[in-house]
Amino acid sequence: MSTAATNLGRELVSKPYLLDAGAAIAYGESIESPPRRAPGVNIHTDEEAARKAGFQAPIAGGEQTYAVMANFILDSFGIGFLRGGRLEAALVKPVFYGDTLTMHARIADAGSPHLQLEVWTENQRGERVLTGTARVPKESPSGSR
Amino acid sequence: MDQDKRLLICPENLHEGMKLGPVFYVVKPEQIEAFARATASSNPLFTKNSPAEDQIAPPTMRLQDYALLIAAHFYGGSGGVHAKHWTEFHAPMRVNQSVKTEGRITTVERKRGKFYFELEYESRDATTDELLVRQAIISVLLLEGKIA
Repeated sequence: MSTAATNLGRELVSKPYLLDAGAAIAYGESIESPPRRAPGVNIHTDEEAARKAGFQAPIAGGEQTYAVMANFILDSFGIGFLRGGRLEAALVKPVFYGDTLTMHARIADAGSPHLQLEVWTENQRGERVLTGTARVPKESPSGSR
Repeated sequence: MDQDKRLLICPENLHEGMKLGPVFYVVKPEQIEAFARATASSNPLFTKNSPAEDQIAPPTMRLQDYALLIAAHFYGGSGGVHAKHWTEFHAPMRVNQSVKTEGRITTVERKRGKFYFELEYESRDATTDELLVRQAIISVLLLEGKIA
């Protein structure tokens, strides 16, 4: 991990991620191994189910937003994140198909063996849809095992 | 659990301490690549030419195991709303690795008219028992399609 990546207060920002219907379908297909047996009609696929639950339209699965955040942390800080890292997040606002998401990570504490990060995801309106914290070991072990 | 013995998913049937699973699977290269594409990742760790010793899975590729655990024990319902999630990463999940995942309902509570439950689950190498990932989903159960 480079010294620049560990500077206290530094904020990292991802490239935008368009979470449209195509991305949701691709994500859904990629996790169907083995099949999840999820209810066929749900808030992610059906207008009426979404409205009944209080949403104006079907919403993207929160786990897809969480996945893109986890990838962003791995991309930014390296494989050490998968050996002793942690991510905790609240999905605070719905993401609708067509939203463009940007991931942010700010180094909140660099004084321990781990970096402590404040993380959040914004939509194209600048609204936070995910907020949380992450922990990344400062030293990345070499190799994958 | 046999499909015929599964319970209807509802507050009355969700109890703290319930053990779910295990479920078993093999980490497939096709899934790693499809998941990376779906999340617009170009990280070389997820490719056959990974700079690590093996092609590895994206961090949350098996987050979905909660759904497998739930579906093995419950049927019906109208799903839920994912409210929070935490993940502790212990070791990368590698291509062709056999994995065992099991979980436990750790919290059920009604708060401001909503029914929340927390399912904590962990994935281990099915052969060596090495801990790979421990995580938990906190979800609001939809009751007759409604949040509250």
